[in-house]
Amino acid sequence: MAYLTLSNISKQFADSFAVEDFNLDIEKGEFVSFLGPSGCGKTTTLRMVAGFEIPTTGRITINGVDVTNNAPNQRNVGMIFQAYALFPNMTVAQNIGFGLRIRKEPESAVKERVQEMISLINLEKHADKYPYQLSGGQQQRVALARALANRPQVLLLDEPLSALDAKIRVSLRAEIRAIQKRLGITAIFVTHDQEEALSISDRIVVMYEGKVEQVGTPFEIYNFPKTQFVANFVGSLNNADAEIVDPSTGILAMDGVHLKTADAANRRKGDKVKISIRPERFSFAAEPMKDNVVDCTIENITFLGSVVRIQIAVGNTKFNMDTFNNPFLELPAIGAQERVMCSKEAVLVLGSGE
Amino acid sequence: MIMRFRKIPFWSWLWFGLGVVYFLVPLLATLEFSLSMERDKIGLLAYERAFEDKNFIETFTYSNLLALATILASIVLMVPTAYWIRLRLPEARRITEFITLLPFVVPAIILVFGLIRIYSSPLSVPFTEIEIFRPLTNTKIGTNILIVAGYMVLAMPYMYRSVDTGMRTVDVRTLTEAAQSLGANWFTIIVRVILPNIRAALLSGALLTFAIVVGEVILASFLGVDAFGPYLFLLGQHRAYEPAALTFVTFLLTWAAMGLIQLFTGGQGQAAGAH
Repeated sequence: MAYLTLSNISKQFADSFAVEDFNLDIEKGEFVSFLGPSGCGKTTTLRMVAGFEIPTTGRITINGVDVTNNAPNQRNVGMIFQAYALFPNMTVAQNIGFGLRIRKEPESAVKERVQEMISLINLEKHADKYPYQLSGGQQQRVALARALANRPQVLLLDEPLSALDAKIRVSLRAEIRAIQKRLGITAIFVTHDQEEALSISDRIVVMYEGKVEQVGTPFEIYNFPKTQFVANFVGSLNNADAEIVDPSTGILAMDGVHLKTADAANRRKGDKVKISIRPERFSFAAEPMKDNVVDCTIENITFLGSVVRIQIAVGNTKFNMDTFNNPFLELPAIGAQERVMCSKEAVLVLGSGE
Repeated sequence: MIMRFRKIPFWSWLWFGLGVVYFLVPLLATLEFSLSMERDKIGLLAYERAFEDKNFIETFTYSNLLALATILASIVLMVPTAYWIRLRLPEARRITEFITLLPFVVPAIILVFGLIRIYSSPLSVPFTEIEIFRPLTNTKIGTNILIVAGYMVLAMPYMYRSVDTGMRTVDVRTLTEAAQSLGANWFTIIVRVILPNIRAALLSGALLTFAIVVGEVILASFLGVDAFGPYLFLLGQHRAYEPAALTFVTFLLTWAAMGLIQLFTGGQGQAAGAH
């Protein structure tokens, strides 16, 4: 049996469902991210695990114990908030020791554990400082240490990096992941940032309008999105309308151009569908080895640092194509006629067309 | 070089100066009067006489105790109320604010007559002869309870608003949730997380309450207690210099209280700013 299970969880506020029929099993030591836009129910689900919200229906178990109706202070679940939520009247050491003192652990044990946690987050020099004397990143590390000091069964992180600047965000997320792996603690991480979710998680739950769209490893979520929403939300994507020409060979027609897909097995001839192609799956046709080779016009070129984004027009349809930057890259001129190619696996058929 | 004439500060200073004169002149007059008890001589005789009076010490001590009881009872009532409204009942906020402002509209005399009207007869179960309470006004303890309750009402606008403003400066909801997830119960959260973070607000509410209670006359005289307010009033009826001296001392005490508020809130403001 899984370590943390959420079975048929729903949460209703007034007339609308914030979360609907949510099912998930999380193994011990796993790092799972809930990813989705604002209002998709990811935070509400996390708050139900924490005990701040009680599910309208469904059951939550941690380590085999039903905690669905337990108060937050009876769950031994660590929580980290976007706004840090350190107690302003307490020093770093007092903040970290708060939970242990609540449990009435002996003072010597509290001191030892606090010291251990402070070393874990490398803030030895700041133990006697107050939260307002620390930077945002330092405050969030203290919040992490405070949550971990109690040896929680599950660590919950509610957009913990959103209030930090870009560089700190990247380094702190690596630190969180390293600490989580070292302690082998089960963690749920809520974010609306796909890059964050892809980089930190063992598995990702993509949510939309209170429902689970897809659960999978970052690799699966990015490369094999199951729904149009997942494909669009994670990474950037080219979308176009097409019509199935021959389901057995995977031929479809888009704007007068025939393309091959590996994804047309359950479709019928004449079906209107939406196709999606990731920008990095295109390349210039140096040799005719791919399934799809199409003529296009170069419309625009944008330099994005490590990546160069080229806008191409295939007939009337515009696509973005990404290619890695290197100093010897020979870019075509704007307006030039070129041939680009992509494999049939790159052409995803995700939904019905208009 | 272009000279800039800053006209606005001049007018600001003028109005400020007029304000200072308006407040200070009566005070200085009181001080001057209190120092001239002996003919043709400036001296502290009025102060000596006032402080020698046994009734002064007794009534002043008693009023201070009443103030302390009012402050403690107000904190016990107001902090959880304001906390709960902020956390769980934001819709009750408007009605609570309305209620807390009522003492500004309803005079103290109405309040004291209401208290006397209800609590001077025994409290019994409706439609029966079964007595729950003896009349509160008949006993000293009962009267003390009544007067502290009355003072709590009078101090409510200051106390509730101070507490509520204090809570606005901290993220009550997130701090509560953080404490809950660390295993804390409601009592621990209020005592160890909320109260310490609103202590400057509590102090300012407490000092305003103190200032109100120590000088209060109407409730104290109608409930017939020997408090400092009625004492000062009576003294004023048949003495001239001593009441002036005591009035000035009371002013000094209030100012000291204000200074303390500044000292504490100033410190917290700085911390919050850095945060």
